[in-house]
Amino acid sequence: MKQSNKIWTIISFEFITRVKSKGFIISTILAPIFLIALIIIPGLVASFSMNETSKHIAVIDQSSIVVDKLIRDDAKTFFKSNSSVDELKKQILNGKLDAFLLIPNDVLQKGEVTVFTPGGGGIGYIEKIDKIISDIVREKRLLNAGVDKKVITIVEQGIDIKSIKVTTEGTQKDYTEFFSIFGYMLGFMIYFLMFMYGAIVMRGVITEKVNRIIEVINSSAKPMEIMMGKIFGIGGVGLLQVLIWVILLAVVTVAGGSIATMFIHQPSLSSISQGAAATQIKGLPFDIPQIPIGVWFAFVFFFLVGYFMYSALFAAVGSAVDQEEDAQQLQMPITMPLIIPILFMPAIMANPDGTLAIVLSLIPFFSPIIMTARIAATSVPLWQIATSVVLTLGTLLLCVWLASKIYRTGILMYGKKPSFKELIKWIRLAK
Amino acid sequence: MKVLDVNSVTKVFGNYKAVDKVSFSIEEGKIFGLLGPNGAGKTTIIRMITNIFAPDEGSIKIFGEDINSNSKNQIGYLPEERGLYKKTKVIEQLEYFGRLKGLTRNEAHKKAKYWLEKVGANGWENKKIQELSKGMAQKVQFVSTILHEPNFMIFDEPFSGFDPINAELLINILLEMKSQGKTIILSTHQMYQVEKLCDDIFMINKGKQVLNGNLREIKKNYGKNNLIIEFEGNGNFLKSISQNQIIDYSENRAEIKITSYDEAQQILKNAITDNQITRFEIEEPPLNQIFIDIVEKNRDEYETIK
Repeated sequence: MKQSNKIWTIISFEFITRVKSKGFIISTILAPIFLIALIIIPGLVASFSMNETSKHIAVIDQSSIVVDKLIRDDAKTFFKSNSSVDELKKQILNGKLDAFLLIPNDVLQKGEVTVFTPGGGGIGYIEKIDKIISDIVREKRLLNAGVDKKVITIVEQGIDIKSIKVTTEGTQKDYTEFFSIFGYMLGFMIYFLMFMYGAIVMRGVITEKVNRIIEVINSSAKPMEIMMGKIFGIGGVGLLQVLIWVILLAVVTVAGGSIATMFIHQPSLSSISQGAAATQIKGLPFDIPQIPIGVWFAFVFFFLVGYFMYSALFAAVGSAVDQEEDAQQLQMPITMPLIIPILFMPAIMANPDGTLAIVLSLIPFFSPIIMTARIAATSVPLWQIATSVVLTLGTLLLCVWLASKIYRTGILMYGKKPSFKELIKWIRLAK
Repeated sequence: MKVLDVNSVTKVFGNYKAVDKVSFSIEEGKIFGLLGPNGAGKTTIIRMITNIFAPDEGSIKIFGEDINSNSKNQIGYLPEERGLYKKTKVIEQLEYFGRLKGLTRNEAHKKAKYWLEKVGANGWENKKIQELSKGMAQKVQFVSTILHEPNFMIFDEPFSGFDPINAELLINILLEMKSQGKTIILSTHQMYQVEKLCDDIFMINKGKQVLNGNLREIKKNYGKNNLIIEFEGNGNFLKSISQNQIIDYSENRAEIKITSYDEAQQILKNAITDNQITRFEIEEPPLNQIFIDIVEKNRDEYETIK
């Protein structure tokens, strides 16, 4: 029998027995239910309240083209204002105003309209504004250009609405904040997955050692095959779980969005579901811009590399001890580099292009968490990404090599808990 | 044909010589006893045979070939320290262990069922190990090591955890395997089982060989045999034997320490001239006695050197 088949046997056993276990099924189902509750309930509540209470939105129309149509469309919400921008900002902070709309003179040329909001408050009305102004501007533009009405219906070009959040510190772009939070989230998820599945690998190794199963398996397959089979099998379980969650999340947000929009009675859902606006998920208490596919690639890549790196080390620790309690001390050098990036995360997200962020994201043990977060939050130069990929892959190989040496000695050793000195001796002695 | 040929093998852990220039070989179809006190180096030898690690010096050949990763599939190994996945079903573990030895899932499934039935464990397939008693788990464990029906098997303390009935069942299976021409290494402290089952034995103490060869020969030549003779007559023949040799003497019965079979024949010749012999028996020392003697002798030597 070929060796690859043995690894495959181990991988499939580890994968199948774990996927079939109650723990996996429960955690896979419970986590999204929790998440759904977190996402959909505020969304629904927001959409319900949208219909009941109308907002007060002031409109400063420097172009004088749009405001009349807006008021015609929804007189309850929009009213014309001649106050200054600063005055209206004050009113927002006082709570007298829900938002105000600044339509510049050159709206037809630049197609930019600004909404000032106190932050939050639902996106229902922003979409409404988007829709109405898009229609007006598009029509005007095309008519000015002397285009046929037929062509106008074909062209789907909309306008950009910049959502500016008014805070006491000043104004900032909403999406930057979103991407920062999103980067933080991805980084934290990688941290969580690496830690959780690394610990599962370690427990699996300890279980086989404590129950003396390892002696039996060891007489059938090589230690390297046993260790890597376990890591791959459990990694597969992790990947499957993440995949199930992502699919569930996609289904739920799309379905949740449709449900929410049904309550809002959006007049032209179909036109929104085409074009760039399609990636905006409706029914949420915040809007989600399109997430570049590269971010997802980075997420999956760094999750896998990080998982393999840390789980190999976790396997080595597991092989060295006789029971889980003894693993605490030996785990320290593994858990520290896992936790450090999380501690630095707020500083890094505050300035994802700063020196601290760049340096930390290039350190291989930190890269999976920090580089993923940075890639999501900012546009990381290619050389930095390439460097971290090369460094993490190299470190991964080194970790697997060292871990396999500790592992093959460790699984046969019982009795005294080994010190770091002894682990180093094992590495040197193993041929 | 030599199934196993261990040639001057040494294994060192740090400064400790676990196995020191050990050589022995096993012929096909034999049950071979691997004996020795705890910590003597038995497990180290077995681990080298099963290719869990390699010897530092010397060579090991299985079926005439150097040990390679393929030879793992030709061996069935039941370690002394053993275990199963507690939360996994019996049939799933057996399939797994069978596949690791090169069977397909289908073959492993069929053979698992066959062997479970053979050891009286049918109907356990879908039970988890944690639901089984220790003896039941031992049966499953035993099945897991012979599932792929190897021609060469190593059993380390196979009887532990078995009641006498199940031990008997196991012995019968071992004898059946032997009759099929399979070769078995039996490592156990139960000397009674060794005397009953083994053709050849090898004994190791402190990493060094102390006994090697045919069990009957070893016992015969050990030089501590007792002659038991019962007779009717004058008993004059006893006078020519030194008093130190006579362990026990009563009317019509004597127990005499002899050093060789020739000596026993001489005594018989002398006795038969004027006695009616009703019983003549050379009692070999129990293996247990030999074992203890050797280990104690070794310890004395060791302490003198010290």
